[in-house]
Amino acid sequence: MATTVALSKPKRRGRWSPWLFALPALIVYVGFLVYPALSSLWFSLTNWDGLSATYKFVGLDNYLKMPSDPVVVTAVKNNLIWTVVTIAVPTVIGLLLAIALNGKVHGKPILRLIFYTPAVLPLVSIASIWGWLYNPQYGAINSFLRLIGLDGLAQPWLGQDSTALWAVMVPAIWLRTGFPMLLYLAALQGIPNELYEAATVDGASKWQQFWNVTMPSLRPAHYIVLALSLIDSFKVFDMIYAMTYGGPGTSTQVMGTWMYFNVFQYYQAGYGTAIAVVITLVAIAVGIPYVRSQTKEAS
Amino acid sequence: MSTFSRRGFLGLTSAAALGAGLSACTGGGTSTGGGATQAASNNLRLFTYEGDETIGLLKAQLKKFDEQNGTTTTVDSLPGSGAAVYPDKLRTELLGGKGPDVWRIWGGQIGAPFAKAKQSLDLSPYYSKYGWDSKINTQAIGGMTFEGMKAGVPFVSLGIGAWYNKSLFAKAGVSGPPKSYAELEAINDKLVAVGVTPCGLGGKYGWDIMRLFEYLLEHTAGPELHDKLLTGDESWDRPEVVEAFALFKKWQDKKWLPQGALGLDPADIEPAYVQGKTAYTITGPWTEAAAILSAKKSSSAFGTFELPTDKTPARHSGFVEGYMINAKSGNADKAAALIDFIIQPATQKALQVTASTVKGAEPDPKTLPLAAEWAQKYGSNPFYTIQDQAFPKKQADQYFSVQSDLLQGSVKPDAAAKKMQEIVSAWAKS
Repeated sequence: MATTVALSKPKRRGRWSPWLFALPALIVYVGFLVYPALSSLWFSLTNWDGLSATYKFVGLDNYLKMPSDPVVVTAVKNNLIWTVVTIAVPTVIGLLLAIALNGKVHGKPILRLIFYTPAVLPLVSIASIWGWLYNPQYGAINSFLRLIGLDGLAQPWLGQDSTALWAVMVPAIWLRTGFPMLLYLAALQGIPNELYEAATVDGASKWQQFWNVTMPSLRPAHYIVLALSLIDSFKVFDMIYAMTYGGPGTSTQVMGTWMYFNVFQYYQAGYGTAIAVVITLVAIAVGIPYVRSQTKEAS
Repeated sequence: MSTFSRRGFLGLTSAAALGAGLSACTGGGTSTGGGATQAASNNLRLFTYEGDETIGLLKAQLKKFDEQNGTTTTVDSLPGSGAAVYPDKLRTELLGGKGPDVWRIWGGQIGAPFAKAKQSLDLSPYYSKYGWDSKINTQAIGGMTFEGMKAGVPFVSLGIGAWYNKSLFAKAGVSGPPKSYAELEAINDKLVAVGVTPCGLGGKYGWDIMRLFEYLLEHTAGPELHDKLLTGDESWDRPEVVEAFALFKKWQDKKWLPQGALGLDPADIEPAYVQGKTAYTITGPWTEAAAILSAKKSSSAFGTFELPTDKTPARHSGFVEGYMINAKSGNADKAAALIDFIIQPATQKALQVTASTVKGAEPDPKTLPLAAEWAQKYGSNPFYTIQDQAFPKKQADQYFSVQSDLLQGSVKPDAAAKKMQEIVSAWAKS
């Protein structure tokens, strides 16, 4: 009997101890994430203007009117374009740079620094720099085009619907290439040289070595790069806000900026919050495969 | 165990992502509009968007007020943010329950939401106590009165006109400001002929390039119809509006506006007339301190004129700015005393207010000669409400979108007029 009591005490402590250790973090988590999240969910079902003390419950009205909002349609389209381009292009360029820098290249540390520097610059500074580069009259891009006789290609890059979104994507690609490059570089350095030696002995060409040795070895890095890039792409807000303010007109609005405009500028917090809920649900849906893959590996 | 862990992890990760995403759009999830009334104290906080060139003057005057009243007034400023950003910051502070006691704000539809949401105090008792009705320009008070509630004390009433570079006008052989719209067009042609972009306006945010369109609308529609259009009492789907949109497009097509004007930031392009890159811009008297004097240029190298509308009475675009008091401030009386101090003519002069609403506070011709000239020549002319204050922000953005489509050629003037009618009538019905 005495033995049973002696054994049961540590068991109880063991059951509750993890929760006690997690409690401070849980309190912060509940207070600063769960509660605001549930509040937002609630406000998305109201007509709150974001400023008044009162509001009315409107059910799913905010969600139902989204498909008929032409700016939401534009924003969804822009989000899709943004996501595809700003994931694919920096990832491919980052991989190519990593492969180039993994070889015997002079000044490797300086080149790494140069390629990674845009990633650490403040986004507003980047927006300002590129805003000037794109200036239709005095910007370096149009000046260069005129200098080499390509006057016809000089455009008001940020001032017309047809080029504005693409023009904002260029600096986004520029600043986001350094991150996959670093991850791929680290992963490349972890591939045992014996694999390449064996492939060479087997008569594999460089191209075959790339597809059959390098790429499979980079699979964990691909997961991380793609998942983080995906999350980054869904969060797009600052570049658009700083460079075009969603314009000309509403042509470069994305869901993030349109949510902001509704909540903070149009005094339609209920509708804006509903947009935020949709963005979040979509982000979770596309993030689940990554989470599953990570948990499978962990288990 | 492993199944439970994976699910648990998935659930927790999803909840975390949901939480992170949703929590980004709420300021704490309260619907009480910032909590209870703050406790009374001798500490006042004033929130403004005063620029670097004048914030020192304001702080000096507030120090003077504090010495006289035993208060401690702190100032927060968000300079250069414009009406597109400043109200957001203010709103966030108010919802956070730590709003300022007094804040500066534009009139019209920019200040209106704060009164409508009862975040700003009804100042009628203080108007009686301090006799503001008799001290301040009546039209200006109207710009900060919402649904009968005097929610703000306007201290500045600013008129928008043309500010030009004399040397560039001379280069084009232009002897002086235009007297008619036709003369203005002729000046534009002469400027383009000598390689000078006439009018420096930028389309980013919409409100800057809008100043040209509202002028053109005043020219084609005239004062009475223009006012009715702004309130939705007349249809926009009419020849006068179509003509104004056609003229707007003409300004761009004839290169009277900078290339790619729609993508330009007003902060970059407006001062271009001081730098000699454009001949003129459409702006208010603050440009003398903010663009001319800050660039160490002499005011004598520049001039100003009211854009000719060919209509009677001659009007220009205008707006008011003033102060509001936080409805939850525990220091409303002291805040009102502070506002009364600020609108004293001596304080207004010390603050170098270029277009004060207070009698006896006209700008000093020695310090700001052009602003004084504008006030003397055109200050007493009536003005129409600047259009980004005439419409709520959402409708104003829709209106900017129509302008953008028109300038890019995706919408014709008649379609733009129809679209504007849809926007304004939907707003008027709401």
